[in-house]
Amino acid sequence: MFDPYYLQQLAIGLSLGMTYALMAIGFTLIFGVLNVVNFAHGEIYTLGAFAGLVLITAAAPPIAAVVFAALAIGAFAGFSLERLAFKPFRRFTDEASLKSRAMRESTLLSSLAVSIVVREALEIVFGSEMRSVPFEYLINTPVRVGPVILVTGDFIILGVAAAMLIGLQYLLTRTRIGLSIRAVSNNPLGAKYVGIDTDRTIIMTFVVGSMMGAAAGILVGLYYGAIFPAMGFVPGIKAFVAMVMGGLSSIPGAVICALILGISESMATTFVSSGWSDMVAYGFLILTLIFFPNGLFGAGRERV
Amino acid sequence: MPALIGVLVFAALPAVLASFDRGYFYQIANLALIFVLLSASMHLVTGVAGLLHLGHAAFYGVGAYTAALLTTKLGLGFTWTLPLSGLVAALVAFLVALPTMRLVSIYFAVATLAIGQMLYLVMLNWVEFTKGPNGIIVTKGLELFGVSLSGRLSTYYTVAVVVVLCVVAIGRLSHSYYGNALRSIREDDQCADAMGVRTVRLKMETFTLSAFFAGVAGSLWAHMTGYISPGDFKFSESILILAMVVVGGLGSLPGAIIGALLLILLPEGLRGLGDFRNIMVGAVMFLSILFLPKGLLGEVSALRLVRQQLGAAWRRTDNGIGIGWR
Repeated sequence: MFDPYYLQQLAIGLSLGMTYALMAIGFTLIFGVLNVVNFAHGEIYTLGAFAGLVLITAAAPPIAAVVFAALAIGAFAGFSLERLAFKPFRRFTDEASLKSRAMRESTLLSSLAVSIVVREALEIVFGSEMRSVPFEYLINTPVRVGPVILVTGDFIILGVAAAMLIGLQYLLTRTRIGLSIRAVSNNPLGAKYVGIDTDRTIIMTFVVGSMMGAAAGILVGLYYGAIFPAMGFVPGIKAFVAMVMGGLSSIPGAVICALILGISESMATTFVSSGWSDMVAYGFLILTLIFFPNGLFGAGRERV
Repeated sequence: MPALIGVLVFAALPAVLASFDRGYFYQIANLALIFVLLSASMHLVTGVAGLLHLGHAAFYGVGAYTAALLTTKLGLGFTWTLPLSGLVAALVAFLVALPTMRLVSIYFAVATLAIGQMLYLVMLNWVEFTKGPNGIIVTKGLELFGVSLSGRLSTYYTVAVVVVLCVVAIGRLSHSYYGNALRSIREDDQCADAMGVRTVRLKMETFTLSAFFAGVAGSLWAHMTGYISPGDFKFSESILILAMVVVGGLGSLPGAIIGALLLILLPEGLRGLGDFRNIMVGAVMFLSILFLPKGLLGEVSALRLVRQQLGAAWRRTDNGIGIGWR
């Protein structure tokens, strides 16, 4: 069981899970605040990766600058996504509209439509084949740790993800804006009555969530060395799986379930070919929806 | 009105196609008809019953693969594969529906998305059975009881007859008391359940029925084009069908048909834009949700239209007051 091969797969799974965790956090934040699934989150991931790629091919800066550029593009993309696809459906603020299912469905469909437009636009601009990252930027130089061979990418992803999680925790608990995010996700109408600017809070949530998603995108792009326009679709679904498994409004739950997902996926690749490894995530989703409708860590939800 | 549509589909359009006599136009017409069937079946499950179904193309694919595999491995002709692919797709949908039917709205949507993706992965990776990405070449064209129907005009007529029959069936389903029950489930299923409507059972029936029609469409596609591959049944096709229903109007069958025709014929008409077809689908969907949330022919207008034109099923008292579907 402590065969170095399995330890290695465990390490790979952990770093994969960390990228899913970064995506899942953004997803959960947005879902918590707006109660709507953001189908375009996978496209933010892709945009982050492409932003990094463009910067690398244009001006070869150090890796830290590339990551910062991805974060900036992610923040901007999140802001524009909110303004474009989510804001127009909040123009009715009466009680009936706020609770209406049609409103939520149309928001969902609009984010789906925007995600399609963005993906196809990226395909037209960049072409749909995989672009490879120039060699100096790839973060997979192997590093020996005891019996296991890891790559530098694992450490970098772990470090960046941990830093972002700690930063998010600080933001949510110690700053005013974090407080307003938590208030709006708890009770949007109540937060409005108390005087919190829900609009600004929602924008802020989108910005923070998209920054994390874009960071995940650039990190995975540099780790695997392949960047292509359709790369955001599957991680978006996996982020959704992690969110549902963790209980919808729980960020630590989403992170833990993302790690579990990553580890199970990399373990599964030892037994089946990698084409089937996506089935793990879908299988987990179906199992969770049927047997654990409130997620593993979540508070009770009225109806699933 | 039904006479007008019948004349259009069975007389006017074939006359136009025959006069141009270009295979490409026949392909477009057949493609449009198949997608009319797909979007009508999607209308039944998403528009009328309110179950947002993001994996419809996968059941279309199940039907197509059934038809293809039956033809290539067992040598059965279209006469057999048409009902069988519908039945197999319905069976798969039934098995899928058993665990997932108690989920609501977004959870159901993502569950169907996952199911669609799983079916797609099976089609792509189970190479021994489905030949994976290479696809399957369907050796037999359309035929009925041994009479070959694979000439251009006869293909068109076969597809048109099957599609019109299915659309009429879906129309009778959605404009009846059964359809009203489904709409009540869509609006508030807890309330409908409390009133005695068998919610879970109706949802399962609708899901299975729409998959049956999708399977039928799949067998039409397999025999018509002669080659299928997993790429025809990806998530983006599901989104295309959803966009057709949304653009036409959720809950309106004429709207679903108009949406299907629009989203198939418009890219053909704007051939010059080439690669922009997919962007256009997304953009049209987005703009229609934003500016025309009720769709091009919204549900209320469509119901009124159907009652006026196809009023045979609408019972009236002696002084002409409408009192309900027959």
